[in-house]
Amino acid sequence: MFSYFLRRVILMLPVAFGVSVICFLLVQIAPGDPLTAIMPVDATADEQAAMRAIYGLDKPLPVQYAIWIGNLAQGDMGKSIATGRPVAGEVFGAVQNSLLLAASAAVIAFPIGIFLGFLAGYFRDTLLDRAVTAISIAGVSVPNYWLGIVLVIIFSVNLGWLPSMGAGPGGSQDWSWDWLHIRHLVLPAVTLAVVPIGIVARTVRALAGDLLTQDFVLALYAKGMSRGDVLRHVARNAAATALSVMGLQLGYLLGGSILIETVFNWPGSGFLLSNAIFQRDLPLLQGTILVLALFFVGMNLIVDVAQAAIDPRIKRS
Amino acid sequence: MAAVDTDILEEPVTESGKGYWSGVGARLMRDPVTLICMAVILLLILSAIFAPYLGLADPYKGSMIARLKPIGTPGHILGTDEQGRDMLVRLIYGGRLTLFIGLTPVVLAFFIGGTLGIVAGYAGGWVNTVIMRTVDVFFAFPSVLLAIAISGALGAGIVNSLVSLTIVFIPPITRVSEAVTSGVRALDYIDAARASGANALTVIRVHVIGNVLSPIFVYATSLTSVCMILAAGLSFLGIGVRPPEPEWGLMLNTLRSAIYVNPWLSALPGMMIFVTSLCLNLLSDGVRSAMNVRD
Amino acid sequence: MRHFKEGIAALLLAASLTCAQGAAAQGTLRIGMTASDIPLTTGQTDQGGEGMRFMGYTVYDSLIEWDLTSADKPSVLIPGLATEWSVDAEDKTKWTLKLREGVTFHDGSPFTAADAVWNFDKLLVDTSEQYDSRQAAQGKSRIPAVASYSAVDDYTLEIITKTPDATLPYQLAWILMSSKANWEALDKDWEKVANTPSGTGPWKLEAFVPRERAELVPNEAYWDETRIPKLDKMVLIPLPEPNARAAALLSGQVDWIEAPAPDTIPAMTGNGFTISSNAYPHNWTWHLSRLEGSPWNDIRVRKAANLAIDREGMGALLGGLMVPAKGFLPPSSQWFGEPTFEVKYDPEAAKALLAEAGYSVENPLKVKALISPSGSGQMLPLPMNEYLQQSLAEVGIEVEFMVVEWNQMINLWRAGAADAAVEGAMSINFTYFIQDPFTGLIRHLSCDLIAPNGTNWGHYCDPEMQALFDEIKTTFDPEEQDKVLRKTHEKYVDDALFLMVTHDVAPRALSPKVKGFVQAQNWYQNFSSITME
Repeated sequence: MFSYFLRRVILMLPVAFGVSVICFLLVQIAPGDPLTAIMPVDATADEQAAMRAIYGLDKPLPVQYAIWIGNLAQGDMGKSIATGRPVAGEVFGAVQNSLLLAASAAVIAFPIGIFLGFLAGYFRDTLLDRAVTAISIAGVSVPNYWLGIVLVIIFSVNLGWLPSMGAGPGGSQDWSWDWLHIRHLVLPAVTLAVVPIGIVARTVRALAGDLLTQDFVLALYAKGMSRGDVLRHVARNAAATALSVMGLQLGYLLGGSILIETVFNWPGSGFLLSNAIFQRDLPLLQGTILVLALFFVGMNLIVDVAQAAIDPRIKRS
Repeated sequence: MAAVDTDILEEPVTESGKGYWSGVGARLMRDPVTLICMAVILLLILSAIFAPYLGLADPYKGSMIARLKPIGTPGHILGTDEQGRDMLVRLIYGGRLTLFIGLTPVVLAFFIGGTLGIVAGYAGGWVNTVIMRTVDVFFAFPSVLLAIAISGALGAGIVNSLVSLTIVFIPPITRVSEAVTSGVRALDYIDAARASGANALTVIRVHVIGNVLSPIFVYATSLTSVCMILAAGLSFLGIGVRPPEPEWGLMLNTLRSAIYVNPWLSALPGMMIFVTSLCLNLLSDGVRSAMNVRD
Repeated sequence: MRHFKEGIAALLLAASLTCAQGAAAQGTLRIGMTASDIPLTTGQTDQGGEGMRFMGYTVYDSLIEWDLTSADKPSVLIPGLATEWSVDAEDKTKWTLKLREGVTFHDGSPFTAADAVWNFDKLLVDTSEQYDSRQAAQGKSRIPAVASYSAVDDYTLEIITKTPDATLPYQLAWILMSSKANWEALDKDWEKVANTPSGTGPWKLEAFVPRERAELVPNEAYWDETRIPKLDKMVLIPLPEPNARAAALLSGQVDWIEAPAPDTIPAMTGNGFTISSNAYPHNWTWHLSRLEGSPWNDIRVRKAANLAIDREGMGALLGGLMVPAKGFLPPSSQWFGEPTFEVKYDPEAAKALLAEAGYSVENPLKVKALISPSGSGQMLPLPMNEYLQQSLAEVGIEVEFMVVEWNQMINLWRAGAADAAVEGAMSINFTYFIQDPFTGLIRHLSCDLIAPNGTNWGHYCDPEMQALFDEIKTTFDPEEQDKVLRKTHEKYVDDALFLMVTHDVAPRALSPKVKGFVQAQNWYQNFSSITME
């Protein structure tokens, strides 16, 4: 098991390197001057040049990359152009908020998705199956940024039940698990949960359906196992695949919450990213994407290892 | 947002030929849902192509007096937008751009990714390593993140959106086509063809393409809905199509402020995205099951 | 992710609880700003006019300030940390300012002339220990006249200007004074100062979460008793997205939003919210290119364009929240004067003028115009420009737009009309902060400020106008100076030097609970008189 883990980690290193190169290049393909957004419009050419030197934007590209990667190794991701604050602090704070949102969405989506998928798979080709299939297809087809707006209209503006923005009455820093804060989480988490409900339900339906029709299940029945025992057996066999889908979904939730965070003003990484884009705050853009991508790489690793732990056959492939 | 999920294909489809395709056709004809979706998509594509010849009003010209008229206004069946432009016309023209930006990247990625995957799968060795390890790097980015990162860096614009979305969809298609090709390559008769000293290109053309194309195609169609939602999402964020072009995501964005005046009106573009992506998904599912691809 | 396990349990528990509205504390005003971040808190603010409004004149003071008490008349300069100022009768570059005694910073240290000098060094001397590039980037360009400064005694400051410049008091109104003692106490680190800044202003910054919120509480020891805030607390929340701002107000998460989108206003007034607005020194124009070959060099064409626009009709688009332009400055400005050319809607006169110039609807004049789909202070640039395009087409001017992103627009504005990147566009749609003589008039048309060295985008240079500008700078008597300013603006209008379209009215939507707000005709506002019911 440990050697498998080690092998996966070693395989991950070149990927991580590639990710850093892409993140660096991302900034180089960006047109325009990142300083435009922060200088007063009247600033003279000299004042702009001085500012450029402060941010190291006057140096040749390879030098900039070397400096960037060197600083990165020391945990320094540079300073945000728009705010002057260290990127690392901004990104980690925001990623924490995004994780909170993504995990909440997962907590909503996975049980519902698994339940629906199981129902559909178990009662295959019944009306129930069709209903679940319809729900899951609708779930993966809905543009969730639009759904978010619709939910805001209904629950915030018309009914006044839930707040429409932010991470709580005092901002994200004093987050606590009471209703005053959680009510801020409800709408974005539900909105974000819709797509994974569809995907998880679909996956589980296929797995459960297949497993139930496979020979060994029939054999189990033949051996006189009860319905419940068979179900448990089937569930364990499906767990490895379901786990990998859900692990990836968690990663997608984190990266995919950008639009939702914008709709709900949730102070997460996606919100940070869209601010960075509109202010052309390239160090911040770079840092946020790097952290999210590396998180996703790590997530993949965990999924692989967990999968191998559950179902040893996977290690061989 | 939906994930780009490459696990749907576990085994290559090896049946092909005339009988197979007529079977697929027959199965499709018995599937009303797929047929309806096909009709909807066809209608959208046709109206997108022929929009300029339908004698519609100018999608860019509005009237400040006739702003945000409700659905059902005489002369404006679906009302007017925030600049007094006819919604029906804008939605029809919007379908044009939305479908174009939503489908083109998948087509481009199908060719580029498909080629890369076939080359990698057939050649194996270091060629495979170089291609597939590069692809792995892109897999480290969730698709939404990658699309927004590239579009965000490049700035708004139709071409920039196409570029970023194509880059997003090349890796998954490459991975699937590599897996399928490797599978086919291991089959005995390909081995035999290679052993007989046939030119690699010929073997690919004659034996491999025929066997791998349909699974790759089926996989690519399953990406169209994701791609369209993503493309509209970029415009919604303001890093896709630029105003005043009609595009559903952008229309959803600009109509957001009208939510308090006329919520139904402002929901229309989102509704169109939803319906189209639903049809694309159902169509792709229908085609897949008609082709007996396991899911 | 601090307490994740309890979290899930709490989440499920909470979901079953009834939904109660979180009641806000008594006397707390929560404001949704349009900025995407809390403005720089260390002194000289960023985020443009909004930064100065919420983080500048709240936490800090400048030597000379704007009078924000009246809604009825244009605001004028009043004493701030300086009680009086005058220029030397002999040497017109030497100014003496008497500073207010007994003023203390929030940290308790006294404000003296040495602190003022220290603050100027913070912005202007990059070798000084306290030099802060972020504040310098915001403040340096605001005081171009300042050559040197010194503390004569604790409460006397002397400033030497590069050339005689009577607009210095207006320039000084930009410069905010931060506490030296606080900076020293915080290891001389501006990043630490950002979290616990100290100024002399009526508000103290109590809590600050970047990008999310800032909480201000009253400075009970403020030197001007009439401006000690009545509220318990004022919370600033960045909400750049107009729709999120509207939703936040309507769902009771904030009590006040800046710049509600016109389409959301009916929903707000329908729910009992009030819309506050007032004229203020802002304009929305096309800045015209005066390079050789530009059709805008013909005064008949310029006047025709100004007569072609039905500005009242544009009001529908903006929910009525605009002041139709009568000139470059708003009609209520103290410097408006009495121009002879009346800016109004008269398409027949416009056609006649164009016919004289050799153009007609059949044979239109073709112009290329630079616009941006968004941008700070640009109101609703696309619909408004499309409206102009239609109006101009009706009299015989055919407009082709060059649409660029706002950031690119700023670059093109700095580069000037002659720059290749402008691609021959003959006008730029740029809105202006026009609160003082320099930003209001001089900077747009002065010969020595031709872009890219300055902000005269169109390369206009006219000896008569230049003479007026020089007169503004050398007229030290405020009343006489106002007269020259009026004369200058009359020339702006009579020569139709811009396509003058409209003025914004700084709309803000307020919950009915907000009482006592007086919206001054200014970019900045006074929040001290406000109470919450």
